[in-house]
Amino acid sequence: MIKKSVANNIKLGAFVIASLIFLIMIFYMIGKNKHLFGANFTVKARFENVQGLKIGNNVRFGGIDIGTVKKIEIINDTLMEVVMTVDHKLKKILRKNAIASIGTDGLVGNKVINIEANRLPDHAAEENDILLTQKSVNTDEMMRTLDRTNNDVNIVAENLKIITQKINKSQGLWDLITNRKIAIHFNKTAENIEKASMEANKIGVNTNQIIRKISNGRGILGKMISDTLLYSNFNQTIVNFKKAGIRTDSFLLKAENMINNIESEINYGKGPIHALLVDSSNTLLFKKSMLNIEKGTEGFNEIIDAMKHHFLFRRYFKRIENEKIKSGNP
Amino acid sequence: MPVSTSTKNLLNEVGGISSFAGRFFSQWYKPRYEIAEFFRQCYVIGYKSLPLVGLTGFIMGLVLTMQLRPTMVDYGVESQIPAIVGIAIIREIGPVLTALIFAGKIGSSIGAELGSMKVTEQIDAMEVSGTNPFKYLVVSRVLAATCMLPVLTVMSDAISLYGSYLGVNIRGTTSFSLFWIQVFESLDFYDVIPAFIKTYFFGFAVGLIGCYKGYFSSKGTEGVGRSANSAVVVSSILIFIIDLLAVQITDVLGYN
Amino acid sequence: MSNTILKKENIDTIETQKKTEPVLMVSHLYKSFGDNKVLIDFNLKLNKGENVVVLGKSGSGKSVLIKCIIGLLLPDEGEIHVLGENVVEQTSSSLDKIRAKIGFLFQSNALYDSMTVRENLEFPLRRHWIKNNPDEVNQLVQQALEDVGLGYTIDMMPVELSGGMRKRIALARTLILKPEIILYDEPTTGLDPITGKEIIRLMIHIKEKYNTSSLIISHDMNCVKLAADRIIILLEGKCYAEGDYETLRKDKDAKVIQFFE
Ligand SMILES: Nc1ncnc2c1ncn2[C@@H]1O[C@H](COP(=O)(O)OP(=O)(O)O)[C@@H](O)[C@H]1O
Ligand SMILES: [Mg+2]
Repeated sequence: MIKKSVANNIKLGAFVIASLIFLIMIFYMIGKNKHLFGANFTVKARFENVQGLKIGNNVRFGGIDIGTVKKIEIINDTLMEVVMTVDHKLKKILRKNAIASIGTDGLVGNKVINIEANRLPDHAAEENDILLTQKSVNTDEMMRTLDRTNNDVNIVAENLKIITQKINKSQGLWDLITNRKIAIHFNKTAENIEKASMEANKIGVNTNQIIRKISNGRGILGKMISDTLLYSNFNQTIVNFKKAGIRTDSFLLKAENMINNIESEINYGKGPIHALLVDSSNTLLFKKSMLNIEKGTEGFNEIIDAMKHHFLFRRYFKRIENEKIKSGNP
Repeated sequence: MPVSTSTKNLLNEVGGISSFAGRFFSQWYKPRYEIAEFFRQCYVIGYKSLPLVGLTGFIMGLVLTMQLRPTMVDYGVESQIPAIVGIAIIREIGPVLTALIFAGKIGSSIGAELGSMKVTEQIDAMEVSGTNPFKYLVVSRVLAATCMLPVLTVMSDAISLYGSYLGVNIRGTTSFSLFWIQVFESLDFYDVIPAFIKTYFFGFAVGLIGCYKGYFSSKGTEGVGRSANSAVVVSSILIFIIDLLAVQITDVLGYN
Repeated sequence: MSNTILKKENIDTIETQKKTEPVLMVSHLYKSFGDNKVLIDFNLKLNKGENVVVLGKSGSGKSVLIKCIIGLLLPDEGEIHVLGENVVEQTSSSLDKIRAKIGFLFQSNALYDSMTVRENLEFPLRRHWIKNNPDEVNQLVQQALEDVGLGYTIDMMPVELSGGMRKRIALARTLILKPEIILYDEPTTGLDPITGKEIIRLMIHIKEKYNTSSLIISHDMNCVKLAADRIIILLEGKCYAEGDYETLRKDKDAKVIQFFE
């Protein structure tokens, strides 16, 4: 009986120890992920805005987890100090001039501190060093740029519209044919159009860049966008924009040709009817280009609208609207 | 009238269990300590439940993973399966499933054992043999159940996660170490500690109700059967109530 | 009622027999469960070396009486003196000391189902802190089993034994503490007459061997005839009649006669 109970106790002991080991392993692994164990050293970084960073958030160096945020202190009304504990192995690697920035890991707001090496040489970082910081590109700002760009496009389109309307009122055509000054004016307008088209191109490039920023290494947000219709819409718009740009270019070429023709007409006196013919075909082309640009802008507006309703951006647009209302009612 | 009698019965039951718990708390720390009996009960209650708990845990981990997979694939987050299953098992499924299986096996066996001991005067016989049957039978069993369920739950969690690992590998390939790294990466102390603490309460509830039902079993073999049955029913309900309370408390404390 | 010794006379006899101090004395015992008054002013005494049988119908409160004596039930009123100590007033530890001197054979044997025969017999020894040396314990267990003639069952489980064997193992368990008083709760109930007689013979044998005093609760006439030095009839919660077998058998009282038909 005693022998049996000893054997039973041995089994019981093995069972308890096995589960204890697993429990300790869980705690150890969690602790290790949080860098609770082993030698650490402390570095600091100061930010204007910590964007919701919390104690315990990860610190990364070149994309590797090397530590966690230990403390966040308010130095004054425009400066927050973030204290980080970092694996001591980084002591030899991390330089005094390394650049810290706040980024987002994933969609649900896990902020991280990204430390990147500076290209310039410096001494190895020491305990309690304050690292350089870089204002991070955050999604809020990206969205703001996007909205501004949208406004620019609207203005361009508006300008182009006015020009077309002017041209449509063919009353000035005769003046065009006869008056050189107006021709010079027209030239200027064309220059304006060229600028506008350049602007439009720029918008395309800007938007492209934003998209690239979103989809390159900005975590799940990028993936989210690239996964949804949103991205294809975006792409479509950019294509439209580019098309519009090309059309504007070709229109400008033709407009220039037309002006040259008009000049030669005036200079060499081939008669107004010919000019009128040239003019009408040009006007038609011009109209078509305008339509394209307008379509492009519409598409863009649609996207912005869609984004306004998308849950990710809803909060941002609400804020913008609120700001508008505030500034509207003094 | 029937309403009032059933209300009375409920209140009577709650009052009886409460005073039984009170008796436990006023006695468990006082000598004489039934240490040998405690360890014997730990063996019977804990070790002997391991195969059953392990089997159900394993199947649960495997099935959960296989059921989750299609949806996760649809959303393109297949790689998150270990993280999600890990959290689900450690926080909720492991503790509650183990406790329910434990209630079914141990609650009923304690209820039936003490019930038949009561009916055949074995409890009286212990008392005349210089033994406090409350300490010898009840305290040792309640303490053993309280201490063993957490241990069983941890084992069951481990086995469940292993089942999940196999589940992941039926249609995909994730290395053993990557699976565990992903599981642990998704976990926080706030996931593990409240889940671990609540298993003590589950174990206590199962042990206490089993003993209560057996200790006050009515005469006859039918009474024994009823004790065993109602021990399982009441302790299962209590497990869910405790679970509800636990989630509320962790919520209030902000550990969610 | 001529042959019935009533309460007052009973006390008188106790007083006249003071030199032979009774090992067990129950006086003015009251016990009720709610409205169910089970014992009403019950009196009893048991002298050293005496076998007293308490006769009573089923449900008359015989088990209640015997459980009050061993301290499993607390009487509402009255005194119970066992070997000079009042059971009713004891703390749990001093009660255990008294209990160690009393053997109790339960109606349902109360063998521990989860333990072997050996563990069943060891249990009271170990629990009363009496013996802890394995050799000594083992010897006492063997001895007790020899006394009831079941030495070979030592490593069996109770479920493997027949009803008569279980009764004898239970008897061995009460004997192992070498008690001065043994309380038997219906020792032959549920057994066939032949086995019942064997048990009764065993009880008499033990009494002679260890010179114990016994209080036997029964309604089995065999038991009464063979084992009783004195008989007490428990009726309506009271000690209704008292005397030896021959006297009570000739009693004219209808309520007494019904036991001897
Ligand atoms: N623990 C108890 N609670 C309530 N009533 C009891 C209890 N024990 C015995 N009784 C009642 O006391 C009476 C006598 O029972 P008992 O002494 O067991 O009879 P018996 O003489 O057959 O042994 C019965 O009516 C029974 O219902
Ligand atoms: Mg009885």
